[in-house]
Amino acid sequence: MVDFIQAVGSGVLVGLIYALLGLGIVVIFKASEAFNFAIGEFLVIGSFLFYVLFFDLRLPFLVALPLGLAASALVGALVERLTIKPLLGRSPMSMTIVTLGLGFLLRATVQLFFGSHTYSFFLDLPDITLELGSLIFLSDPIWAGMLSLATFGLVLLLLFRTRWGLAIRAVSESQARSMAYGIDARLILLVIWALSATCIAVAGIMISNFGALAAGSGIVGLRAIPVVLIGGMDSIGGALLGGLIVGVCESLVAAYIEPHGMVGFKEVAPYILLLLVLFIRPYGLFGTVRIERV
Amino acid sequence: MKAKTVLAALLAAAMVLGLSGPTMAKKIVVLSQFPMSGPVGSLPEFGWGYIDGMNWVNTEGGGVNGKKINWYLEDFRYNPTVEVANFNRYCSEFSRDEFLMATGYITGGLKPLIKKVNVEEKIPWLDGSYSTEIFGPEGGPSKYPYYYSLGATYGDQIKVLIKWIKENHKGKGRPRVGFVISPTAWGRDGPPEGIEYAKKIGVDVVAQIEYPYTATDATSQCMALRKAKAQYVIYHGFSGAGSYTAIFFKTAKKILKGVQLMGTHYTTGRFPILVCQDAFDGYIGVATRPFSDAVPRSQTPMDNPMVKLAHEFAKKYRPEEYKKELKGGGIKDMFLYMEGLTYALIIQEVLKRADKAGELTREGVKKALDNMVWDFKGMFGGKKFSYKSHTIPMLRIFKAKVKMVKVGGRMVPTGGVYPISDWINTDEIEW
Repeated sequence: MVDFIQAVGSGVLVGLIYALLGLGIVVIFKASEAFNFAIGEFLVIGSFLFYVLFFDLRLPFLVALPLGLAASALVGALVERLTIKPLLGRSPMSMTIVTLGLGFLLRATVQLFFGSHTYSFFLDLPDITLELGSLIFLSDPIWAGMLSLATFGLVLLLLFRTRWGLAIRAVSESQARSMAYGIDARLILLVIWALSATCIAVAGIMISNFGALAAGSGIVGLRAIPVVLIGGMDSIGGALLGGLIVGVCESLVAAYIEPHGMVGFKEVAPYILLLLVLFIRPYGLFGTVRIERV
Repeated sequence: MKAKTVLAALLAAAMVLGLSGPTMAKKIVVLSQFPMSGPVGSLPEFGWGYIDGMNWVNTEGGGVNGKKINWYLEDFRYNPTVEVANFNRYCSEFSRDEFLMATGYITGGLKPLIKKVNVEEKIPWLDGSYSTEIFGPEGGPSKYPYYYSLGATYGDQIKVLIKWIKENHKGKGRPRVGFVISPTAWGRDGPPEGIEYAKKIGVDVVAQIEYPYTATDATSQCMALRKAKAQYVIYHGFSGAGSYTAIFFKTAKKILKGVQLMGTHYTTGRFPILVCQDAFDGYIGVATRPFSDAVPRSQTPMDNPMVKLAHEFAKKYRPEEYKKELKGGGIKDMFLYMEGLTYALIIQEVLKRADKAGELTREGVKKALDNMVWDFKGMFGGKKFSYKSHTIPMLRIFKAKVKMVKVGGRMVPTGGVYPISDWINTDEIEW
């Protein structure tokens, strides 16, 4: 039982980070129906921007974090302006394919500036390790879970309690109708990309703090794929639940299945779960069911 | 008329000399391949060390008793297919008489080339692989006569660690050892020999856990080791520079309190100090080379002649890169630079010996390697090794000392791995 609680607890903490990654995908998908395959590169860029401010320029954490996130938002906005905006009005598939190419470009750019070696990444946050008998929850994952949850909450506040959020939701509902009501949909799309880049950067910083940072760390970003497909591509609540499901699934597999010679199954298990979910609910657990008449 | 005759004679002589030139001075062709880019990262330092070493050999170093080496360097991008293709290209481009030896760096490249190198070409091949399968008791000179490794096998490395545990265990009862290995051919190479040896000398192996490179969390692995009550953990099959190493050591520091973390060659060096910081303090590992790069670099012990030589070379030929260290394309770890230089120096040494014996041929080079007894410029504390097992059977046990110091308001790691044993010749141990 202790092992089970340990696995579920650890899974929830990691799952909260995955949920934030999922949120980064969902906000873009809701607004433009495009899937951002460059999520891993956004994760790495966000982490490196923070790295430069915190480790190289030695700014205090509470200054470096908002500045780093602002810089990530700026990168997100810039990417939208240069690569997505010219495609407005075209098929969402075009945008999705552009993000694939964008991923290669961004990865190469990061390697050009930072090389491909590993950078140490110690945030030195206060130790809040939770030890209860044989149960142990380490400080870094607890911080990661809490910061991810806080970021998720802030995004929800922005979306559901502000005028900007209202505009974002309106654009997500229908770009054409929102423009008819005088909303600058192009500006809102830019804000959405900036918001997505910020969410992904928070997740990236937390993940880097578990170990280290390298240009190749972006592979973790692909964990967002099962998260959003399980939860539903256009559901914010689905991203949260999907993240938790994937996190707990990985943790349980690592604790109970991998020790029996199935190493690496942890990476595959969320995709098997995804297949099962899609068989039952093709649009994910909370995705909007679309009925297309032809 | 007389002038015309003299001119014609001079022209004819020049033509004869010119045409016969290549046959008069036999070329010495050597191919080396290093993983300088690709999935392991950007590691041009291998190439820099090799280039500087080979340039020195051909200029100030006296070449091969006065003859220059035509050396070629290829980046095989950690891709065995590229390594094999490069080798095949050089085989078809140069005659067997000229192309005298080749070097590689990974087991993945050695395996597909077994027949080509050992049966068809019969060309001496030096490699950075420490594969037990190729160079251990099941392989070795009788099976792969033209393969030579530049270090002790992983099997021997792990056995040395087990032996150290047995000799230094202070607790009650038999020592309890856990293995954490990568689910790769590299990770699985060595532990079986180590486990067998552990049984023989009375050390209990209580856990064998595979930990993947893609890990974002090591809690379940560390909890399993804690549950198995492991007192020693051997971490093998991983690069010390990987993010997964940082994750494992950071997690182990919290969950496996009081457990001795240990490891093999590629985890015993500079990078883990940088990425794991004080979580690496107290680590004990084996390495086949002397420790060559402390953090900061200026604190590197220079008592080893080979380390001193490598630093002098880097300062002389790569001053900018030496100074930059991790930043902006500098030398990240002097081990990489020294390794490139090591290859250049052993190539010169063996070719010189073959030439001196009047056999500057592939067979002559093989004979020179087989009969080689050398101290490698003092690399092993003055001890000499022989190449009879086709490995340089030298290794040493090191312990990491990492201290966090405040620099510019932020804590940064300082330290290195320092020897806690003399150089060990694994060929001389009765296992």
